[in-house]
Amino acid sequence: MKILAKYLTITVYILFSYLLLSCSDTKQIKTHDPVEIKDSISIWIKNSRIKTNSLIQKKNNLSKAYNNLNLKPNDKYKTKNLSIVAYRYYELKDTLLFQKINKETQELAYQLKDSFTIADTHWSLADYYNHREIYEKSYFHYKEAYIFFEKIDKEYQTARMLFAMAFIKGRYRDYSGSEVLTIKAIEKFKKLNNYKWLYSSYNQLAILQNDIQEYDKSILYHKKALVFFNKIKSKNKKYLSSYNNMGSSYFKKGNYSKALKYYNIDLKKDNNMIDYARILNNRAYCKIFLNDTINVKRDLFEALRIRDSIGNQASVMVSKINISDYFKYIKDTTNALKYVKEANFIAQKIKNGSNYLNSLKKLAVLDIKNSKKYLERYIQFSDSLSTAERKVQNKFTRIEFETDEHIEESKRLSEQTIIISITSVGLILILSLAYFLRTQKSKNEKLVLEAEQQKANEQVYLLTLEQQAIIEEERVQERNRISEELHDGVLGRLFGTRVGLGFLDFDASEETQKQHESFLEELQEIEKEIRDVSHKLSNNFSADQINFSTLIKQLLKTNSTTGNFKHQVSFDEQIAWKNISQLIKINIYRVVQESLQNIVKSAHAKNVILDFSIKSTTLVVLLKDDGVGFNIKKAKKGIGIKNMKSRIKKLKGRLEIESKMEQGTSITIEIPVTN
Amino acid sequence: MADKQYKALIIDDHPLISEAYKSAFHKITKEDPSISFKIDVANDCDTAYDFIKQYAKNSDTIDIIFLDISLPPSKDGKILSGEDLGLKINQLIPDSKIIVSTTFNDNYRVHSIFKSINPDGFLIKNDITPKELVTAIKALISGAPYYSITVMKMLRSQVSNDMLLDDIDRKILYELSIGTKMKELPHIVLLSINAIEKRKRHLKHVFDVKSTEDRELIHSAKEKGFI
Repeated sequence: MKILAKYLTITVYILFSYLLLSCSDTKQIKTHDPVEIKDSISIWIKNSRIKTNSLIQKKNNLSKAYNNLNLKPNDKYKTKNLSIVAYRYYELKDTLLFQKINKETQELAYQLKDSFTIADTHWSLADYYNHREIYEKSYFHYKEAYIFFEKIDKEYQTARMLFAMAFIKGRYRDYSGSEVLTIKAIEKFKKLNNYKWLYSSYNQLAILQNDIQEYDKSILYHKKALVFFNKIKSKNKKYLSSYNNMGSSYFKKGNYSKALKYYNIDLKKDNNMIDYARILNNRAYCKIFLNDTINVKRDLFEALRIRDSIGNQASVMVSKINISDYFKYIKDTTNALKYVKEANFIAQKIKNGSNYLNSLKKLAVLDIKNSKKYLERYIQFSDSLSTAERKVQNKFTRIEFETDEHIEESKRLSEQTIIISITSVGLILILSLAYFLRTQKSKNEKLVLEAEQQKANEQVYLLTLEQQAIIEEERVQERNRISEELHDGVLGRLFGTRVGLGFLDFDASEETQKQHESFLEELQEIEKEIRDVSHKLSNNFSADQINFSTLIKQLLKTNSTTGNFKHQVSFDEQIAWKNISQLIKINIYRVVQESLQNIVKSAHAKNVILDFSIKSTTLVVLLKDDGVGFNIKKAKKGIGIKNMKSRIKKLKGRLEIESKMEQGTSITIEIPVTN
Repeated sequence: MADKQYKALIIDDHPLISEAYKSAFHKITKEDPSISFKIDVANDCDTAYDFIKQYAKNSDTIDIIFLDISLPPSKDGKILSGEDLGLKINQLIPDSKIIVSTTFNDNYRVHSIFKSINPDGFLIKNDITPKELVTAIKALISGAPYYSITVMKMLRSQVSNDMLLDDIDRKILYELSIGTKMKELPHIVLLSINAIEKRKRHLKHVFDVKSTEDRELIHSAKEKGFI
């Protein structure tokens, strides 16, 4: 695990031989704005750059500038130049002085809140760490520099920082992250029409696409990059082996002949030794796949020789892997094994993860005896490598997150307020909805309760009627009993007594006889009276039922007194009230009652007419008033009218209301009855 | 004039009334000693029925029977009133003469008694005086019918109103007049409610009553002496 941990810090950079983007590219391009020549400090700095001067002369000039600057008051001029001096020391490879001065400058810049110098010193540090391949620290400082450059709207510098950050991310296989940053950088470079950096950016983008095996896209970006390259007017433009790279993409795609064509284009160009070796190697390797071994071995070894002489271990390793493949192709397993072992050794030494894996895989194929061992090592390392990569990627994300934090703060705050307002609005909506539902529910409950109460009322009314009927019957029976008693009992005995008395013979004066006669007549009269009383008692007809019309009349009379209106009631004689069910009568009574109450309450009527008539089997009730009337549409929703309608509807009848403002209201009820 | 003894039966649940009738018979005997009466008195349906059966058994007749209508029913419940008893008399000793003496004075009852028993004499108790009672007995034994004044009036009014009402019509009118409910009527007159309604409509037409209320009909029927 310790070995693995070491790999954490190292480049996991996939060193495909064509990949040209090297660390030095980003670092050494940092340039400072030309400073006015007039003041001595800028002259000293300039002197430190003169190539003909020796290193000691350069350093002397720099130390003069540094000492002089330290005497100056603390301002932006001072920090700016200090930063340049520090970077010059770095360029002269005096890292100790660089670190010291850069640190001082940064502290001073923070004190002065000089964003440009803060950013500049971070940039210098980032370059320094980048060169030393301490990418996490490097990334952190690029990010810091980016933030401060962005603060003061330095488009070019921010674009440069983005590009550098993208480069580091690309190294750690965070391809999408790298792509995003590169695209951001491209946007800025496009604004600035900086073709040189557009070329580099597109090149970087193309390489990223190649890494994620989007070869067509990669080729497209390379072509785009070349368009920008051709636009560069500066003489010392740096060519980044675009054709070589395109060739590699075609190679990866399996289009070897096209790859070969592109390699040949680049080979004709004026290349430096490293590039030349790379292209040479690539072309030779490509030829193997075209089954063309002419000069392959020569070229491969030529490339290895050049690379060896330069001392670039990574490229030597790639060469050795390719040579191993060549030997494998010509079935020289011994040599193939030898070179791949060497490559494996270098990969382990320079901690190149991907080629270490690559060589292990090849070893497993070639060294059949130890195949299992190599495979195991391969799997183990592959796992830990991806874990390590993920950790590093996470680290970057964390850095980004932490530094992003204070930029995002205000954004987050506004987002927070938005969220709060949205949730509160939502909450209010929900609450009001809940309230609405609740009130609706309670309203419904109230209505149900009212309906129930009404039903209960009606039942009570019916019961009362029934009770009254029973009482009435009892009374009738009692009266009949009394009547019978009088008729049969009293009357009979009285009759007997009278007749008995009449037959009584007694000696008396004529006067007394007459008196006796008149008493008898008187008794007969009493008998008659008793009989009449008895008859009246048994004549129950008038009281046989509770009279509906009487009730209605009573109701109208009471209401007319309270409402102070004149009234008129008429009943069609054809209506057989006896045959109309109690339920209909009750409901009509209630509707009339409710209507009359409305009239009393709000109609201010002077006259009310109530008419009951019958048309074949339909009972028609008409209630008219000459009051103020009302708006039917509004009132339709009212409980009163709803109730009235539902009552009549239950009886399969119809209730119609007509009302005009200031002209009164008429209510017509039609109920089918069996007459 | 040879001595003649008449057989008489007094059926009345009031002993006082029986005594009064007896006094009337004695009065006649006292005035004309050649006429004498063999008087039996029955205070209830059972006793009366026993007498009737006795006479029937001997194939004998009763010359004069005072029959009260409202009597307590017989013990076996077969004879409910004087009216039933009258029917028995007509059936068992048909030549006997009945004089109905009742306190009922409503036209319907009187009419129905006429219809069922067809008595030779009909007295409304309240109408008669001792003198009239004597007259009635004399008329009966001489073979003439005797009706007291109320009965006479009723008969006259019916003759003058030539309406054709059958027994059922009368019964319906009567039941309605005593407050019987429509829904109870089918059990009493043994007709469907529709048939009863139909009859009622006809009655209203006959009595020229427009109102649907029965009250008017009853009122009119009473005026015309049907109930």
